[in-house]
Amino acid sequence: MNMKKQNAMRIIFASFFKSGFKAKRTRAFILLSLIPVVLMLIMRIMETAGSLAANASADFFAKVMLILYFQLLIPVLALFFGSTIVNDELDNKTLVYLTTVPVRRRSILLGKYLAAFLQAALLVGCGFLLSFLAASLTRLDEAAAWEELAVFLGTSLLALFCYSALFTAAGAFMKKSILIGLFFVFGWESVVQYFPGVTQKFTIIHWVKSLLPVPPGEGGFLIFQLQPSPALESVAMLLGAGLLFLFLAVFIFQRKEYILSDNA
Amino acid sequence: MTAVLQAEKLSKWYGNILGISDINLEIGSGITGLLGPNGAGKSTFLKIAAGQLKPKIGSLTIFGEEIFGNHRLFRRIGFCPEHDSAYMEMSGWEFIMLLSRLHGFARNRAEEISEKALVTVGLLESKDREIKGYSFGMRQRLRLASSILHEPEMLMLDEPLRGVDPLWRIKIMQLIKDYGKQGRTVIISSHILPEIETMTSEIVLIHQGKIFAKGDIHRIRGLIDSHPHQVSIRCREPRQLAQKLIDSDFVLSIDFGMDGHSLTVRTNQRDLFFTALIRLIAETGLKIDEITSPDDNLQAVFDYLIGK
Repeated sequence: MNMKKQNAMRIIFASFFKSGFKAKRTRAFILLSLIPVVLMLIMRIMETAGSLAANASADFFAKVMLILYFQLLIPVLALFFGSTIVNDELDNKTLVYLTTVPVRRRSILLGKYLAAFLQAALLVGCGFLLSFLAASLTRLDEAAAWEELAVFLGTSLLALFCYSALFTAAGAFMKKSILIGLFFVFGWESVVQYFPGVTQKFTIIHWVKSLLPVPPGEGGFLIFQLQPSPALESVAMLLGAGLLFLFLAVFIFQRKEYILSDNA
Repeated sequence: MTAVLQAEKLSKWYGNILGISDINLEIGSGITGLLGPNGAGKSTFLKIAAGQLKPKIGSLTIFGEEIFGNHRLFRRIGFCPEHDSAYMEMSGWEFIMLLSRLHGFARNRAEEISEKALVTVGLLESKDREIKGYSFGMRQRLRLASSILHEPEMLMLDEPLRGVDPLWRIKIMQLIKDYGKQGRTVIISSHILPEIETMTSEIVLIHQGKIFAKGDIHRIRGLIDSHPHQVSIRCREPRQLAQKLIDSDFVLSIDFGMDGHSLTVRTNQRDLFFTALIRLIAETGLKIDEITSPDDNLQAVFDYLIGK
């Protein structure tokens, strides 16, 4: 028996992807991710009924939904899915089962990360798709609308990848990482992006916003002291930072001693 | 004896709390009981042996290799943890299959060994139920199944009989004895002496993080039996009962409780005392509300041995 590490990772991914959807927390997040869809549908119905001005749905999407997704839903989902990859194993004292089988610790972490990332991506992707369709109902025959959707979805995935890798590393390093994560999302990320100079480049949200197809000024939340960074540089930064955080998570998880007892 | 497990100057503490201290130990094939009161350091020792904790000082090797971070060794080792933990959203089958697959077995073979392990612990009929619907005893048996499914050369069991019903207790003890007879190495921890005594005569006594004694259980038993036991009895007529007992050779002293409804007897022959007490109750019809033996726990035995 010589288990290849990809096999172990695949087995862990498949098992936790499936069981993750049975968790109460995931079900709660499914409901949370449907809130923007419901809001968007209400806007669309009101616009169709003539209660709102033409293009009100599209405006609402650009001004409110993008904030909701990129500054709230994606970081929060990434925080909860990422930081609980290790923390759940510690809280439920189940880590011992995965660390007493002949499998490298990095395969355990990466398998669980992929499962969590895909779960979060499905929640965000489905919600975003439905919201976008509701907002762009009148221009679905335009190629530009679909291009816009592709960029939005791609940016969502990149943001999710980077944030969840960061929070996975934080979860592997400390037990109560959610509090620190909330401070990062609602403190650092929200405030520093408005700082002048290059400071805002130390946030993930700066690189995410730089990729969004809505030009600054049209989308109300895209207020930049600095011009958006070039798209290619932003993609490279998000991918690079995500990979670096993942490497850090693996490095910590392989070496750290986790104490599953009241003595901890 | 060829040592399968070797610990040298092994120490571990959590902040200011001592786990184990300066343990030197060699364990070979067969069953070894790790005996000690709660908090003695048994679990800490087993967690280091199972690669879950790093030693602060000293080393521990299994099959000649360091265990922490050495995932390959787990092909040869099975570990049953003390915690009542499991992936509650999974079914028993999903849980065991996950571990079988992670042990490197192909799907068909994994199904075979998973089924065999669940049959061994009597959970095959409940395999499709979610683990959160299992009783404590069922989860304990599931943990045991997870540790034996790959038929390891070495099995480490941390309080494996806790919460298991009497029928399964006997079956599990037999399973462990069979493992020992096959020449495998089994280390089993418990704070209940008779439990260990049923399975093995080779014991390691741990107390306050240190190995207090190691060797044949009968020698320890002899020491324990020779030490006076106290038996407390709650009854309606303690003076009448005392009158009947005081003439017996094996009764050293009798003290009456302040409540007027209890007495404490000190005896140097525990078994003879209980035989006589039962006969007395049957003959006289004296009403006894409760019999307790404050001595009859491992902590008292250790206190006695340390004092000695």
